[in-house]
Amino acid sequence: MILVILDHDGSHLRKGALEAIARARQLSSLGNLAGLVIGENLGAVAEEARNYLPTVYTAEVGSYTPERWAAAAYAAVQKSGAQVVVVASSRQSRTWTARLALKMNAALLEDTLESSTDGSRVLASRYSFLNRVTEKQAAHLPVVLTAKPNTTPPAEPQGQGGIEALTVEQPGAQVEVLERVAEQKKGVSLSEATVVVTGGRGLGSAEAFAGVEALASVLGGAVGATRAVVDAGWRPYGEQVGQTGKTVQPSVYIALGVSGAVQHQAGMNKSKYIVAVNKDAEAPIFKITDYGVVGDVHQVLPALLEAAKKLKD
Amino acid sequence: MKFIAVLRQVPDNEAKLKIEGGQVSLGGVTLILDGMDEWAVEEVIRLKEAHGGEAVVMALGPERFEEALRTALAMGADRAVHLVAEGYVDPISQAQHLAETIREEAPTLVFTGGQQADWDSQALGPALAEALGWPVVTWTTQLELEGETQAKAKHDLDEGAELVRVPLPAVFTSQQGLNEPRYPTLPGIMKAKKKELRKVPLSVQSKVEVLEQTIQERQRLNQVIDGSKDPVAAANQLIRLLHEEAKVI
Repeated sequence: MILVILDHDGSHLRKGALEAIARARQLSSLGNLAGLVIGENLGAVAEEARNYLPTVYTAEVGSYTPERWAAAAYAAVQKSGAQVVVVASSRQSRTWTARLALKMNAALLEDTLESSTDGSRVLASRYSFLNRVTEKQAAHLPVVLTAKPNTTPPAEPQGQGGIEALTVEQPGAQVEVLERVAEQKKGVSLSEATVVVTGGRGLGSAEAFAGVEALASVLGGAVGATRAVVDAGWRPYGEQVGQTGKTVQPSVYIALGVSGAVQHQAGMNKSKYIVAVNKDAEAPIFKITDYGVVGDVHQVLPALLEAAKKLKD
Repeated sequence: MKFIAVLRQVPDNEAKLKIEGGQVSLGGVTLILDGMDEWAVEEVIRLKEAHGGEAVVMALGPERFEEALRTALAMGADRAVHLVAEGYVDPISQAQHLAETIREEAPTLVFTGGQQADWDSQALGPALAEALGWPVVTWTTQLELEGETQAKAKHDLDEGAELVRVPLPAVFTSQQGLNEPRYPTLPGIMKAKKKELRKVPLSVQSKVEVLEQTIQERQRLNQVIDGSKDPVAAANQLIRLLHEEAKVI
């Protein structure tokens, strides 16, 4: 059995969940598929999930903690006898899937780009060494696998499955959430965006990000920021791209006023196309760009916005 | 109280990596204490300075990891435990072995890096927590002990952050903003040579096999447009290229 754990926002499955289902289907020679949704008030997402999977388990465990999610996932593994678990990769899932892998005494294949099977093992490729090296890994079952966002075409609906509620024992020592500082996110999430527009220190001020936001919005993309910008308090940490921020791999990454330190490159160097606007022709970012404009970002950005608006009209 | 940091030795960020025989070759590469692990080491030293007790550093890895452990001792850790195992050992297997040694030490808490720069894995901290049966707080930016049995911490989520109270013992992983690590001083380096560094040879079966490593640098077009004289024309040309040539917008 292959268990897919489905990420959702409370009312809908996220794109990552559909990609995870597609990944699980690629491994279907290893067993039948089942899905699991974890959280609270799961009726709507379970209904959506049954359009993709023959069995959907629900685990009503309340709000997120890594301990609860790992316990719910393990309950579904025991119930279904799953030997393979597939989950969309995110910071949160990479926390609780590590707990799950240990519970299962399973191999963990983290943040994989693609995955397959040779009949007895799961094979996967992933990045390592700060995103600079691509490595092929292999592991015998049981395996827990997380799938990097935007690496697999989302699954299409298929059949009509049944829904089964699971009973999950609450884990012992747990983290108690005192306060959650949710960042107000407009538009698409950074990790899933196919267009990312990132501003760097070269923009000069927090106010200059109005142009970055406008360009991202016109192109249907997400806003990113460099560490310098986040440290300066111009943008929230959740937008940081790089070694200690998010890793993104959009179709096009537009870097505005970004010099391109190695730590920043670690978060974006696998983007399909890289575009940079910087007044310094010697900036390291130009070594990895497809299209670059050497010029003043304060003049180029408004012109880019105008041209993009015209294109989208 | 006892505070443990678990660390790795990794190539320097700026190091040029080479592939030999399908594997990353570290010959001639500067190897350092991992940057995120360095935050973890700094934090356990600060905790020990503030609350008393002992700061212990620990690693599971090849002989060469000793240098990184010595760096941590030179920063101010009191002693080190090195589980010596050559070759790649995946984080889940590492956690299972490290947990045995950690359990014997019975610490107040364990700290490790949020993601180490060699294996790009975020699993070691949470896997250790599971092996020990403790809660985990990942991507920690602030930590404050409230006596010996609980702590308050702030940590990053995928979007936003959380303030949590966590019963101890627990495992924490580090994030940028946690602290500014100190540099080892010369007296610190001299003292570190005499500090206890216990080696435990280990034979570990990795659950994951690394079949092949490659460096696939994408060939970039490197097409540069001069936007210094006519920024509007440059912007128009760029949008046209992205739409017509790259077809990404």
